[in-house]
Amino acid sequence: MLEQVWFPISITLWIAIISSISVLFIGVIISYVFARRDFRGKWLAEVLITLPLVLPPTVMGYLLIILLGKNGFIGNLIFALTETRILFTWQAAVIAAFVVSLPLMVKTTTAAIEAVDQELEYAAYTLGRRELETVLFITLPLAKKGILAGFILSFARAVGEFGATLMIAGNIPGKTNTMSISIYSAYQAGNNELANVLVLILVLVSLLSIALTGKFVNNMKYGV
Amino acid sequence: MGIEVDFKTCYYEKKKNSKNKKNIFTLNAKFQAQNELVVLFGPSGSGKTTLLRCVSGLMDPGDGKIIVNNKLYYDTDKKINLPVQDRKLGYVFQNYALFPHMNVRKNIEYGLKGWDKEAKEEKVCKMLKLMDIYELENRYPSELSGGQSQRVSLARALAPEPDILLLDEPFSALDMVIRIKLREKIKEIQRELQIPILFITHNPEEAFTLADRIVVLHKGEVKQSGTPEEVFHNPKSSYVAELLGLFNIFDDTIVENYNDQSKNSILMSGNMQISTRDISLKSNDRVSLGIRPENIYISNCRVENRDKICSLDMSKYN
Repeated sequence: MLEQVWFPISITLWIAIISSISVLFIGVIISYVFARRDFRGKWLAEVLITLPLVLPPTVMGYLLIILLGKNGFIGNLIFALTETRILFTWQAAVIAAFVVSLPLMVKTTTAAIEAVDQELEYAAYTLGRRELETVLFITLPLAKKGILAGFILSFARAVGEFGATLMIAGNIPGKTNTMSISIYSAYQAGNNELANVLVLILVLVSLLSIALTGKFVNNMKYGV
Repeated sequence: MGIEVDFKTCYYEKKKNSKNKKNIFTLNAKFQAQNELVVLFGPSGSGKTTLLRCVSGLMDPGDGKIIVNNKLYYDTDKKINLPVQDRKLGYVFQNYALFPHMNVRKNIEYGLKGWDKEAKEEKVCKMLKLMDIYELENRYPSELSGGQSQRVSLARALAPEPDILLLDEPFSALDMVIRIKLREKIKEIQRELQIPILFITHNPEEAFTLADRIVVLHKGEVKQSGTPEEVFHNPKSSYVAELLGLFNIFDDTIVENYNDQSKNSILMSGNMQISTRDISLKSNDRVSLGIRPENIYISNCRVENRDKICSLDMSKYN
């Protein structure tokens, strides 16, 4: 029983941490570009990144299989580099979590960066600071509330990811059975006891992350 | 030395996928100045801020060149466009633009990148003293009044010892007493540092009390540039005169000469007739006539000293 509970928790947290940290870095870069730059096809990029938010997870999973599978472009690339297949591994689950939680990060962070007065960035430029320095020491610190909120939302989304994960990482006991997938299979197998424990833990983790968002965001005032 | 600005730039509607974009604004900026306090004067929408942003490098000036203290900031012919960061300028924004997550000291220090610790410390102290804000050192911008914020903003702009200082309506949100104090400060700073200062205002009083040179802008055109005395006593167009808010202006005044060679004319506007001397005007021309209120005398008898009757604004009408 302990192993049956412990493995899903650890693999889920592991996947969620790796995916949300990647989402944090990549999401911040994408958000800055969306908030401060104009380029051809920007609307298309925005649509593509937001799409996983509205598409059914199974559709997302199916599209990822096409991309990552034997005949998929990325799947072949990974096979050429590492001689392994990525589908039905925990890494595939990370990719699924990444794709579905990226739009949450980008939406919140883009709004937060857009809310930073651009005059402040201009002021930094006139004081001799380059764009990168300005982003790191002016823009991002002033947008940190939104960034943190986005990060926690993405983490929570990654913890709860089910559909796309099931399709591309499967339900391999001891390998890819994350919490939400274990709950589903425990229920199917009539193991309500296991399902109850996992549900309780999942609810607690989600509550905790929402509480943390509220606490951080309320306590973070400029400079204090 | 000084500053030379000469560029022309057009701004178009931001409409995607359309080939005939409408030109919404053309800025044609041309003036020169020494190391003096230059006031850019004009109503809202006349292009003052755009001009300042172009000089600073925050906006693209289009076609032309900008030279400050013999340093080429921008030149389309030579394909030079110095990045903002390399122009060594101080910029004071209308809304102060202080970094809200840094205290006053950190704000002032921000432009002193690469200075060693002692020099930095010394400079910040000097700036705090100069702007008389010693006691605010550890405060955050949210804890400052408007006047205090603008002092900090000035200190921050001046700390890196800029080659030129740009001020975008810095005092427009402040009350009269503080405004007058800060104007004095700006004059003092200019005398001490001997750098060109570009100062934007739409307030005629501010323009004339501060300026060594006034550049009058209207709809993106430089209408006149000169010392405050020149601009005030000899406005080159009825527009400039009107902007100064000083004249009774009569457009469409008809000229009637005694004869073709005469330099004496009678200007007629409605029932009013005014005679002028020593100004060459053609009969039946239409001109704009301006009379300063202080030059109007009401008298029962004929005024002997005719020189006191001046018509100062003689721009020709098309």
